[in-house]
Amino acid sequence: MLETLNSLMHGFSVAFQPQILMYAFAGCIIGTLVGMMPGLGPLAGISLLLPATFGLNPIIAIVLLAGVYYGAMYGGSTTSILMRIPGEAASVMTCVDGYAMTQNGRAGPALAIAAIGSFFAGTVGVIGLMLLAPTLASFALRFGPPEYTALLLMGLFVLAYMSGGSMLKTLAMATLGLLCGMIGIDAMSGYTRFSFDIVELGDGVGIVPVAVGLFGISEILLSAGQAEPPKVQQPSLRQLIPSREDLRLSMGPIGRGSLLGFMIGIIPGSAHIISSFVSYGIERRLSKHPERFGNGAIEGVAGPESANNAAATGAFVPMLALGIPTSPVTAVMIAAIMVHGISPGPTLIQEQPELFWGFVASMYVGNLVLLVLNLPMVGIFVNLLRIPYAYLYPCILAFCILGCYSVSNSMVDVWIMLVMGGVGYLLRKFGYDLAPVALGLVLGPMLELSLRQSLALSGGHYSIFLERPIAVTMFVLALILLLFALKPLIFKPKTGEKDWRSSVGLDEVS
Amino acid sequence: MSQQEESQQEAGAPPDGAPKGGLRSDQLSGGLLLLLACYIGWLNRSFPVGSLADPGPGYVPMLLAIALGLFGLLTAVFGIKSQPLSAIPWPEGRRAVVILAVAALAAFALERVGYRITVIAMLIFFMGVVERKPPLVVALVSVGFSLASFYVVGELLNVPLPRGPWEF
Repeated sequence: MLETLNSLMHGFSVAFQPQILMYAFAGCIIGTLVGMMPGLGPLAGISLLLPATFGLNPIIAIVLLAGVYYGAMYGGSTTSILMRIPGEAASVMTCVDGYAMTQNGRAGPALAIAAIGSFFAGTVGVIGLMLLAPTLASFALRFGPPEYTALLLMGLFVLAYMSGGSMLKTLAMATLGLLCGMIGIDAMSGYTRFSFDIVELGDGVGIVPVAVGLFGISEILLSAGQAEPPKVQQPSLRQLIPSREDLRLSMGPIGRGSLLGFMIGIIPGSAHIISSFVSYGIERRLSKHPERFGNGAIEGVAGPESANNAAATGAFVPMLALGIPTSPVTAVMIAAIMVHGISPGPTLIQEQPELFWGFVASMYVGNLVLLVLNLPMVGIFVNLLRIPYAYLYPCILAFCILGCYSVSNSMVDVWIMLVMGGVGYLLRKFGYDLAPVALGLVLGPMLELSLRQSLALSGGHYSIFLERPIAVTMFVLALILLLFALKPLIFKPKTGEKDWRSSVGLDEVS
Repeated sequence: MSQQEESQQEAGAPPDGAPKGGLRSDQLSGGLLLLLACYIGWLNRSFPVGSLADPGPGYVPMLLAIALGLFGLLTAVFGIKSQPLSAIPWPEGRRAVVILAVAALAAFALERVGYRITVIAMLIFFMGVVERKPPLVVALVSVGFSLASFYVVGELLNVPLPRGPWEF
């Protein structure tokens, strides 16, 4: 414990360097603006900013991108509360009671509670990250290729089980992503696969063009022809102060949402989306007056907002400790660190203590920045919402092209982005979740390599997976999850019986 | 949408006026995934699959193609209760095609005529021609955005952006 505190102090000495503070500050502001823009969620925002971090040192790069991440999460909640437009999917639940509060003339307390909840949840998340990541990393030093194979497979099945919408569609999308990950030179044999004689595809398909295309371009295409922006309420500073009753009602949901969000954040999938839906469901169930939900219950804002922010931080645990992304956002973050020659994984904390602890400490700072900066400045930020979409989307499109081109100065990336944009648009029209595609793309090559390395180690015997206790445990868990995932397909639910996803509203998300 | 129409859609039934018994959305999308899986399987024939004990470069793609085909098939089979294809609204469809086509044209032009000219032309087209915004504002936003983004990304962040034959 003392060692952890010493390391954290060292992290703060890094985070409080003026240059790093400035970048954390800039990341939070950029993230807030990005989160408020329709068509640019946290993923597209981080992807677009990625090329700008190539020239920075790795600590600054990850601090900046993390700032964008939770800034965007916060920005998304502002548009949900004021305009009923979720900047990103995790804010959908905030729309319900947040906008109802705005209609009741209580936009100020809703925004304040969202900010306080996000701050508290972010802090809980950071403490969890600080305590859990080093422990998990030292445990993961025992991992070899068989354990990684089991872990990655388990992650994919968790993704299928936890995802909203149709399980079959989620599995199909994860498989599509894994197949995209097969493009390029096979690391074991040197064969170039599915490259269509395009030299650039030899290195595989990058996560940035795929993410920007699937999430950014498809959103632009879906929002095309959108009407002029609606009127936006601009609450004054005094209106932002929540009453004692608001605080009393919000304390429980914020605490529960923070813990729940962090735990869900660690497991793969669209964790921050799932956590906000589950939190809303729980708060509604626990409430003595569930009929208030949907009509401006502050608990309906406090719980989901805390949960999605804690989940955003929780997702960094497997990313930093195991080097495994559990969401498309952390996949892009890994790409950002790897550009600087650093491989995230169990040895990261030992080999790069400045990076890890500086990052943890900067997250504390970033959360504080979001609270003290965004709330008073909400009046300025909402002006962005007044820009007509007709001016906004062409500029976002130009940014997407610019961002993708800048990653490796390759037009192939721009073409991949456009193709993925068109594909993403069609898939969303047909009700498919796109997150598994991005995740599969990153996990695909890792899974294949670890599987084939395991077999090479064992001389082709699959028994290697049964001889290692950690791998066996994870395979059993994966199998149980697969069976749970397949259950609704094999056994038809009884009339009136609801799957847990529908009971928390997850089936509405895709 | 009326309450009756909503309940019809929830039950997978087509809304009044929509053709009954037509192709369903999941049937089409599942079928397309199955076709894609077949295509990938066909492409994969040029890579050695190896054996169960010693998988070759074609092994995992083959397994994945089979899985994709299976999921596509199951989506199509279970998709009998999904919404009818004709019930999917496409109000933004025409504009989406235009946006994608112009973006593709811009991608084609980017290295040929340079970043700044391409972006100015693209923004003028979208804001001026598609959205019919006032010409002066369109000109200011287009030129301003193009030059400012080139300065920030190209000059400050040292990302080499295409300049085209006129070095602009």
